Amino acid sequence: MVVDEIKVPLREVRRTIKEFYDPKEWHFITVNGVDLGGKVELKWFFTKYGEREYFKVVTSEASYDDEIPTITYLIPSAWISEWELADLFGLNVEGAKRGLFLDPESPQAPLRRG
Amino acid sequence: MGKRITVPFGSQHVALPEPVRFVFQTENEKIVDVEVDVGYVHRGIEKACATKFKYMQVGYVVARVCGLCAISHTLGYVTALERLMGVEVPKRALYLRLLVSELDRIHSHLLAMGHTAEVAGYENLFMQTFRHRELVMEMLELLTGNRVQFDFACPGGVNRDLTPEVEKVLREKLKVLEEKALWLRDVYENDFSLTLRWKGTGVVTEEMAKEMNVVGPPARAAGLKTDVRAEFDYLPFKEVGYRMVVLKGGSIYERNLVRALEVLNSIEMCWNILDGLPEGDIKVPVKGLPEGEMFVRIEAPRGELFYYIRGSKKLILDRVRIRVPTFANIPVMKELFVGMDYADVPATVISFDPCLSCTAR
Repeated sequence: MVVDEIKVPLREVRRTIKEFYDPKEWHFITVNGVDLGGKVELKWFFTKYGEREYFKVVTSEASYDDEIPTITYLIPSAWISEWELADLFGLNVEGAKRGLFLDPESPQAPLRRG
Repeated sequence: MGKRITVPFGSQHVALPEPVRFVFQTENEKIVDVEVDVGYVHRGIEKACATKFKYMQVGYVVARVCGLCAISHTLGYVTALERLMGVEVPKRALYLRLLVSELDRIHSHLLAMGHTAEVAGYENLFMQTFRHRELVMEMLELLTGNRVQFDFACPGGVNRDLTPEVEKVLREKLKVLEEKALWLRDVYENDFSLTLRWKGTGVVTEEMAKEMNVVGPPARAAGLKTDVRAEFDYLPFKEVGYRMVVLKGGSIYERNLVRALEVLNSIEMCWNILDGLPEGDIKVPVKGLPEGEMFVRIEAPRGELFYYIRGSKKLILDRVRIRVPTFANIPVMKELFVGMDYADVPATVISFDPCLSCTAR
């Protein structure tokens, strides 16, 4: 398995993805969060069509208060992953609505560990 | 332009096997806007996997994400865990996993095809399709002990071996199933009413499929050559006669035809597995504690299933992330509805074979 991981500050995420992402070549899988206590590690996963086990991963970290830049300008289908981040980690994702996965009365940000 | 009317579709609707809610804004019969809600069956499974269950138990927990996709979920998790911990799975276990995985694909595809026939008003074909699907359910029960919610794969291998008695019955049932699947392919491909109703309805173009990152049979029906079985080495598909089925057109008709053709290829693979099943162990012990991160892709019946796990040398993992195929296909469905006639919505939704138990988790 080949994994090309690019670590960037949060403000650079959209520019980094824009530099390589071409929908004809790249398949966006999802964005994943892992709570590190006070901050969340975010990874945007991509794979290349026609390649075996080849991934590009853009990694960044965000504090609970940071605004996460949306990538829906580049990848329109990314909204659902971003809205999930907003619900399950309680993150402030640009343009994301709350309540797609969680009921308003349910515990908020359940995937935060702290 | 007519007056704008709000039409809710779901969460409970005669055409829906699972709860999803679309709120359509329509002008006359045309949909002009849509909102979606997918969270009706959120059960906090990812949270439970990272707080309550030990890493050796998680395979059984993720099998409860969805009854139909249980095989794929466990397979995704154990593959990620085995890769993270450097476990080499015996070849016989890999072949058995492949057999069950393809049987699961057959019964899931037949379910989707049957439901689409039902919403087209073709109740008889729905019943026929489900009747033949029953053969696969019986085969899965013989192999795994359950009709749904199977706990077949486990870290290091599989939980049950294939006995000669079971193999004999499987071969008999597979032969009947092959005949029925050929007949079903013929009906879904050539029936005049179905073709008239579905061809050109709910079209996803290849460009749209790439733009919206569509996965599974809807992507392949649109001409996009993507199938994790060809892109990720998690089971020996090449050795058993796997072929990627790709069609042009992208409508409900092609989505169902891709499924019908994949059913035939899966049956062919099942024959090859039974004929060439390697001898040997079905399981190896898994020792140690998981440390680091791993992610894998699996081709579940509905499309690409993604698993991410992370551990820090503890019995309980730090993170288990599941990205299911329906989750990936919701954005294109939402996009597709705008401009569509409301009457085409039920068949279009069902043709994506949505699984909301998986999506909400």
